[in-house]
Amino acid sequence: MSLMHDIDFTLNGVRRRATVRVDMSALDMLRETIGLTGTKYGCGEGECGACTIQVDGVSLNSCLMFAVDCHGRQVVTIEGLGADEASTRASALRDAFVEHGAVQCGFCTPGMMMQASHLLDRHPHADAESIKRGIEGNLCRCTGYKKIVDAIVAVGEGIAP
Amino acid sequence: MTEIERYYAPASLEQAVDCLQEAGGVTVLAGGTDLMPQKNAGRLKPQRTLMNIRGIAELRGVELSGGEIRIGALTTITDLLENPLVRQHLPQLIEACNHFASDQIRNVATLGGNICNASPAGDTLVPLLVLDARVDLVSRPEGRMLRRGLPVAEFFVGPGKTRKAPTELLAGVTIPLPPENYLGRFFKFGTRPALDIATISIGFGGILEGGVLSRVRVAFGAVAATPVRASHTEAALEGRPLTEATIAAAAAAARDEVTPIDDVRASAWYRKELIHNMTKRILDHVAHA
Amino acid sequence: MSVSEKPRFIAQESLIGTRVTKMDAPEKIEGKTRYIHDISLPGQLHAKILRSGRVHARILSIDTRAARALPGVHAVITAADVPDQRPIGVVRDHLPLKGDRVRSLRDEIAAVAADTEEIAAQALSLIEVEYEDLPLLANPEDSQKPGAPVLHDDHPDNVAMRFEYSHGDVRAGEAESDVVLEDTFKLHYVTHCCMGVSGIIVEFDASGSLLMYSNTQVPFLHKREFADYLGMDPSRVRIIQPPIGGGFGSKLDIYPFEVICVFLARAAKRPVKLLFTREEEFLASPTRQPVLLTLRSGCKKDGTLTFRQVHTLHDNGAYTSWGATTPFVMMQTFSSLYRVPHCDYHTVAVYTNNPYAGSFRGYGNLQATFAIEQHMDMMAEAIGMEPLEFRLKNAQDAGEVTGQGMSFKSCGFKECLTTAAARSDYSRKRRENLEQRQSGGPVKRGIGMASMLHVGGGAKIYPSDGCGTILKLDDFAHVTLITGASEIGQGSETVLSQLVCEELGLPMSAVTVVNNDTAITPWDVGVHASRTTFIAGNSAIGAAKKAKVKILAAAAKKLECAEADLDLRGGWVIRAASGEALLDLPRLLRSLHFSDKAELVMTTFYYEPPSVHQDKAFKGDVSAAYAWATQVVEVEVDTETGIVRMNRVTAAHDVGRVLNRLGIEGQIEGGVVMGQGYALTENLLVEMGVMKNPNFRDYKLVTAPEIPEMDISFIESMDGEGPQGAKGVGEAPAICVAAATANAIYNATGVRMFDLPFTPERVYRALAGKSEKLCWKPE
Repeated sequence: MSLMHDIDFTLNGVRRRATVRVDMSALDMLRETIGLTGTKYGCGEGECGACTIQVDGVSLNSCLMFAVDCHGRQVVTIEGLGADEASTRASALRDAFVEHGAVQCGFCTPGMMMQASHLLDRHPHADAESIKRGIEGNLCRCTGYKKIVDAIVAVGEGIAP
Repeated sequence: MTEIERYYAPASLEQAVDCLQEAGGVTVLAGGTDLMPQKNAGRLKPQRTLMNIRGIAELRGVELSGGEIRIGALTTITDLLENPLVRQHLPQLIEACNHFASDQIRNVATLGGNICNASPAGDTLVPLLVLDARVDLVSRPEGRMLRRGLPVAEFFVGPGKTRKAPTELLAGVTIPLPPENYLGRFFKFGTRPALDIATISIGFGGILEGGVLSRVRVAFGAVAATPVRASHTEAALEGRPLTEATIAAAAAAARDEVTPIDDVRASAWYRKELIHNMTKRILDHVAHA
Repeated sequence: MSVSEKPRFIAQESLIGTRVTKMDAPEKIEGKTRYIHDISLPGQLHAKILRSGRVHARILSIDTRAARALPGVHAVITAADVPDQRPIGVVRDHLPLKGDRVRSLRDEIAAVAADTEEIAAQALSLIEVEYEDLPLLANPEDSQKPGAPVLHDDHPDNVAMRFEYSHGDVRAGEAESDVVLEDTFKLHYVTHCCMGVSGIIVEFDASGSLLMYSNTQVPFLHKREFADYLGMDPSRVRIIQPPIGGGFGSKLDIYPFEVICVFLARAAKRPVKLLFTREEEFLASPTRQPVLLTLRSGCKKDGTLTFRQVHTLHDNGAYTSWGATTPFVMMQTFSSLYRVPHCDYHTVAVYTNNPYAGSFRGYGNLQATFAIEQHMDMMAEAIGMEPLEFRLKNAQDAGEVTGQGMSFKSCGFKECLTTAAARSDYSRKRRENLEQRQSGGPVKRGIGMASMLHVGGGAKIYPSDGCGTILKLDDFAHVTLITGASEIGQGSETVLSQLVCEELGLPMSAVTVVNNDTAITPWDVGVHASRTTFIAGNSAIGAAKKAKVKILAAAAKKLECAEADLDLRGGWVIRAASGEALLDLPRLLRSLHFSDKAELVMTTFYYEPPSVHQDKAFKGDVSAAYAWATQVVEVEVDTETGIVRMNRVTAAHDVGRVLNRLGIEGQIEGGVVMGQGYALTENLLVEMGVMKNPNFRDYKLVTAPEIPEMDISFIESMDGEGPQGAKGVGEAPAICVAAATANAIYNATGVRMFDLPFTPERVYRALAGKSEKLCWKPE
């Protein structure tokens, strides 16, 4: 039996505890221990971005993060995106993804949303080229990316400088 | 299979090196972006203690003092990209960071992790070689902090292998401040802008005055068991006017001195061709800079 | 429908051709959609499969004792534990659990169901298998040589399937040719890479009925096959399809993991869930069929095509899945994309110890188009004609019946050609690029064109190519559209709802779609052959029309007027001529329901397209409509690295009619980028039967910064049989890209590449003259 460890962190704005295997990924913790399934497993190697979450305000691949490393940190998953004061942008992103047709099978979408939201937090007026670079770690097999990029650009343009 | 028996998250450098000093193996966790997949694939056996050093604040950050830039081991790739000192003085490193993995990984992966992984294709290693960086290793035998510096060029001994002792922790790197008229270039070949393991990479640094190159440094990635300085290529350039003939000779020297292998990403022949053609291209750009 | 104030007049508004947002997008965006990976049944066990890791070997022994003894393990099965297992697959050559021999790296040896995935994995590590390696057959060309290892004893010649097709007399065609070309083309392995890995959950209820949560694209065929396989009454097999994380043709066959999970659930008497890892997804999923293809083509000096002769060798892999049958589609391209009076087509699909090939978006057409569209450029050059002019001279028109018996009732091919050429400025750029080949820097620009023909009105392969619909209007005029057609991300639920709303004059918000449960939905043959919009769309329209007739009859009676004077619009019965609002639809429906002669508006419709089965010579009008497209690709080739950048794709597609503009753009853009991956980046490396890159690090999907600028035009040929004039489009956009890219690289560099993919080293080698000239002819 693997070593277990207790951690205490904030998940989607709510403080909580969890007991996790020390070699477990944050992705497995979220999906299996906690039961939040919006964060997806796509490759387990940080190559596809389907498992993107935000920790202490930056996006990362939860499949590469040790669950124990969540201790003391602010973790936001797709289920909690926009629950805080930055919710206007998250809600604008959601609308833009719908309006621009950025979703087909949808499996990459939660990770794409988490990354897009992080990008716009960092670079509110990012242009199409930097957005393409910004989502280079998120694979999508359905859309050809164009409508995803369009959606993110539109939200960036919609924000007053 | 070794089971992890202890998880430890020290708050200070002293505590961390004390832990390393204790008997029994320690796996050091920083960003985790290489550790996790290596563990999952069975390429890395976790030791009995998993030590998470991310909480050691003094290991993160960039500072300039005494004509040297010191970068803490826990500084992330994104930190480097956004750091004004690095942007101003270390163009090769910025270029390498810009081609490093993906935003999600850049946000977490640390410079120290990239160095300790010692991949022949590690993106930041080639610029560090060109910049004459020294690694700063810390240990604490018998309760006494011991620091030793080692040129990066001597640090790597093979894929995944370095001269760091099991009791040592990489605290950071120190880079002499390049002069004002310094030219730095980095080139990584892959089909994507980033999220790609380098087929080859090339670092160049030097000073071009009156058409003549001096203090030339050239290094290559993914063409040998470690990232390597290219001494023949450097010799073909040092002190010479950067003419077409010099460039051609340097590119030929580069092709001759690398010893790449065939793997799933490229053949040795193609890697040599790329080294030749891209060394030439970089030098052409420098000549016209 | 909420009760609203009575408007006086309601203006006509059509949903057709507008940008309708995808109905399930909000759920997916918020991470609320429950894919198979996200579903857990109470008491569920987790399954894992032990794979051989050997390419070709005899199994000497399997020892599962230690695995069975591990705490938390509920079932361990090997071939010996399931004596009732039978072969699966297109020609029934594939036993799910291998007991005596393994023929490929991914072969299933044993499986475990345990309390957790970790325990299941640990149990696998405790299973000991002894093998004796057998001689390897890795190269399809070797399969026909004397003394080659025989993979299946009942196929001593290693041939899985053969296809022979012909029309006209190719010898006569060749005799009248001024130019004859013969070249060999080689197509590589690629795989689907659905973002959601494969998975299944199986449970048996107390009465022994089987419930599967499955990602299949063909639920009704699956249901029947599983019933047959397990010797069960089909009525006791139920398939629920949770939303699918990508299909692209990968889920058209029954695979061993599905059968194995059924065996495990039967043995453990508990629900069992099985999910692949990404590595397993690479190793154990079907691939696009690798093909070696020799094409001989001819034309006259005036540009008239004379004949075509094609031989192909398909690497079937160790077992037969749909990949072997892709010649059905390939031969259509050779026989019918252009007017060609004489055509021969021969395929042999042979067994090897390689991964086995399945169906993948385009179904052989990418491979066929790659060859034929390069030869079109080469022949044009040989007779000194512009490639565009040469194609226009030979392109099909509406009204044509081809040598293979396909009848083109609507055909926008020539308009596709001229539109794509004009919008990309093809002819001018092509000439200018020729001039810069010898001059300028190391980076060369190129432009290339390719066109395609694909089924666009279903494909009559099974006894029926139809789809059923049940439509229910409730007492608030809310519609439940129950369709047999599955949603795999392509947007079928949205376009079907749109078609129903168009008939019934309702807004999109008035529809709920039920499309994922064989116990509820009417029969459909499955999501394949770009058929869903066409077939399920016509079915939905049929059911909606019946509902409308019923509603208008009731309204006419109430209003004491003729039904023909009435129509439905905006949730009201209106006067057709003026748009005057007459009756509130929900109120009308309630008055029908809550009356002495209570009646509900519920209709059913089954649409069977007017296509025919091909005869034994593969002739016949197999689809109710045909889709056409031309794509122009612009590249930059860095001759010092071999890297090819795709800068722009100009696509003109005959789609019949645009129904949902947002959805169809998404299909084209996604298909183009999938085609870009096939052309430039994706390469599943298989050496001596071993997959070298089963991961996203070294199997490179296109990422966002690499995509080309895309200019998309829709040619609306208004197909007479299509729903509102539309034709199928799902596969079409992926088909031309590789062929057009090959032509663009030639335009840029003067070097013609006959084998895919155009990855940097392969291009660099070709530019350096270091590629081997391919030359293959069947013995």
